Amino acid sequence: MAISNNKKESVHIKPKEKFDFFHDERVRSVFYQLLTAAVVGGFVWYLVSNTAHNLEIRGMNTGFGFLNVAAGFDSYFKLIPNVPGVGTYGRIFIIGALNTLYVSALAIIISTVLGFFIGVLRLSSNWLVSNVALAYVEIFRNTPLLIQVIFWYIGVFSLLPKVKNSIDLSGGTGVLLLNNRGLYMAWPVPGNQLWMTGAALIIAISAIIFLRRWAHKRQDRTGQIVPTFVPSAALLILLPGAVYLLTGMPLGWDIPKLAGFNFAGGASLPPSFVTLLVALSIYHAAHMAETVRAGILSVGKGQYDAARAIGLREKKVMSFVIIPQAMPAIVPPMISNWMSAVKNSSLAIAIGYPDLVSLFMQTSLNQAGYAVELVGMTMAFYMVISLTISWLLNIYNKRVQLTER
Amino acid sequence: MAIIKTTKKSALSPPVSETSPIGWMRKHLFSSTFNSLLTIVTIYIIYITIKEVWVWGIADAVWVADTRRECFNISADGACWAGVISWLDSIFYGRYPREELWRINLGLLFLFIWMAPLWLPRVKAKISIGLTTVFLYPFLAGYLFSGGDKGIFMQIMFTAAIVCLLGNTAHSVIGVLTGRSLPEFLIRRFGNKNASEKSQRYILLGILVLSLVAVYVWQMDWKVEGVPWTRWGGLFLTLVIAGIGIASALPGGIILALGRRSRMPLVRVFSTSFIELFRSVPLITVLFMATTMFPLFMPDGFALNKLVQVIIAVCLFNACYIAEIVRGGLQTIPKGQFEGAHTVGLGYWSTMGLIVMPQALKNMIPNIVGNFISLLKDTTLVSIIGLFDVLGMLRSVGKDLPWLGLHKEPLVFGAIMFFLICFVMSKYSRHLEVKLSTDHKN
Repeated sequence: MAISNNKKESVHIKPKEKFDFFHDERVRSVFYQLLTAAVVGGFVWYLVSNTAHNLEIRGMNTGFGFLNVAAGFDSYFKLIPNVPGVGTYGRIFIIGALNTLYVSALAIIISTVLGFFIGVLRLSSNWLVSNVALAYVEIFRNTPLLIQVIFWYIGVFSLLPKVKNSIDLSGGTGVLLLNNRGLYMAWPVPGNQLWMTGAALIIAISAIIFLRRWAHKRQDRTGQIVPTFVPSAALLILLPGAVYLLTGMPLGWDIPKLAGFNFAGGASLPPSFVTLLVALSIYHAAHMAETVRAGILSVGKGQYDAARAIGLREKKVMSFVIIPQAMPAIVPPMISNWMSAVKNSSLAIAIGYPDLVSLFMQTSLNQAGYAVELVGMTMAFYMVISLTISWLLNIYNKRVQLTER
Repeated sequence: MAIIKTTKKSALSPPVSETSPIGWMRKHLFSSTFNSLLTIVTIYIIYITIKEVWVWGIADAVWVADTRRECFNISADGACWAGVISWLDSIFYGRYPREELWRINLGLLFLFIWMAPLWLPRVKAKISIGLTTVFLYPFLAGYLFSGGDKGIFMQIMFTAAIVCLLGNTAHSVIGVLTGRSLPEFLIRRFGNKNASEKSQRYILLGILVLSLVAVYVWQMDWKVEGVPWTRWGGLFLTLVIAGIGIASALPGGIILALGRRSRMPLVRVFSTSFIELFRSVPLITVLFMATTMFPLFMPDGFALNKLVQVIIAVCLFNACYIAEIVRGGLQTIPKGQFEGAHTVGLGYWSTMGLIVMPQALKNMIPNIVGNFISLLKDTTLVSIIGLFDVLGMLRSVGKDLPWLGLHKEPLVFGAIMFFLICFVMSKYSRHLEVKLSTDHKN
């Protein structure tokens, strides 16, 4: 009886809610939000009305109609054809955007590879090597990128010899030449049956993936290790190689030849492009090296010791224990490093490489006006890029978290 | 037979292979064939690099000359440092009037005096000193650098800054000597030991008002010549932009970060989109926006000069980066701290100001130093839009008639200068990180 009595007494009584308008959190929250909205909205409205007024006074045109107007200038470096005086400002935007993406994509690839290499050197047991790597990282991280870009341009690539005395980077074969007009290289010309070699390459790669999976599964099941490196390498080289030879080597090379005052044939890159690529790659490789080092060091020493204790060899410790655990720590800063590489490619403006900022934001602005639209479009471009990258990063992070637990 | 020794036997010294230089080299440089090969190749690379740099930069370099031609005549292959040396004043101060340079130096000295107590061990109230550096010092420096007539607001702020500087200096001297704070010292000197706390506070207030009035009266007649912003330049301008950038980005960044973590959806959306907008675009586009769009934003007959436009742009840009640092710092504070603060009845602002921020700020200091380094490096971008900051000055050397075409040496000099500044600061922030960390990682 006592128990039931207790139960009756402890019936939860909901306190009568007193609604006090001035001291209620929800009311205050709504009030603050309305206040914020009013302040922000009022400020934006103030700016917009001022801008509209100023544009009217100065007789400036607005709207995105200018994108269909022919631009009177051209870019000396472009990935899509353009005829000056015919190509529109819209086309100029695309040229600039592609140039930005082109140089930053190459810089990202080179800096990632170089950065991994230097990061590993930084952890080398060799005192001298690790300190040279440290000096590289500190020197390039602690000087402004803009000074580096200008230095490479004025101090190195402007001092290169003339076309006649080009430096041959390929050791006398003439397939890779450097002079003050840029970098000239031989370019492959695909023949009719090259697609068969390509197909063979794809088959080889899929076979390798299949082989490695099978070996992995077998190891899981039986504990036996099947060597995959030699068969994969053989597959990768022999199969496409054989197809290439059997179809009669359907690949020609367009080699740059001196014609008049310049090289003709092959592919060429202007000095400003090479400068920017070199400067961005070196600068971001230094950041990448630090990321890689920090990532590898973030794996506890106990992991290494334990892996050695159960008898794994040095290489296997790295590839099975350390690297897989270091990757989640390396990837996010690595991707934000990539993002800053895309953003830093805008320093092209200092050396005249026609990227989005210098071509669209500067030249077009001088030619056509439309300040608000041009600046807005340029910023929107970078925003889209970085939002896309951070979206991909989120997907990666989720995947890593899932496999972790 | 005494087998138990009563004296302690000293430990054996480590084997020679561990202590001798040759042993060290065997372990760290020549541990395997591959490592030995690597060492030899690296030594060769270092030798080549250092030799080239030495010959160009020091052995064959020209230090004294009047023109670039003269440099060439003395040594054709070496660096021509004479050009950099003759431009040294401009690289540091821009086109600031030469007879007024003492003002810049004085301003820097004041900054040093102002901030020095932060590093002195026995000085109290370091947070207040830090806050006054951010909020009062800029007015003192601003007037020293720009000069001219003071408006009423400037007069008040200038007075406050001077009084604060004096008080701060006295406070730190007393702190170092006696370990007391300035108010304690004053009360011991002038106060009545038996008087109540309230009347003692009146004494302090009286001293403060008296010194404010005295300084105010003094500064009414004290005036320095106006220097227009167009004559500011060089490293000085770079430091001014970066300094204002960091000082105003701190409060802005804290507000944005709190907004982003707010529970009110509208505030959160505004803060997040503002932060993401500025973080996802390059600084140069923000600077272009400032110079091309700010004039359109202004009401009729109101124009900002280029320096102000650039400073606003840098502040907006940097505030968003600081906001992310602050957010990172806030995330390191465990939830228990918030709940504990709520339990003892603190409201939002008290929780943030008294409990969370002091802990979070400590974690953020290394990152803030890092942010200042990258801001300092990024500030060189203002030379692209036509301000004569340090890079603008370095590039002007090669356009000066006697030194026509001298581009490489000024850039190398600038790179070395930035390297020294940034390297020292980054080492310091690394040191802070270790010193401030209270968890037991290692």
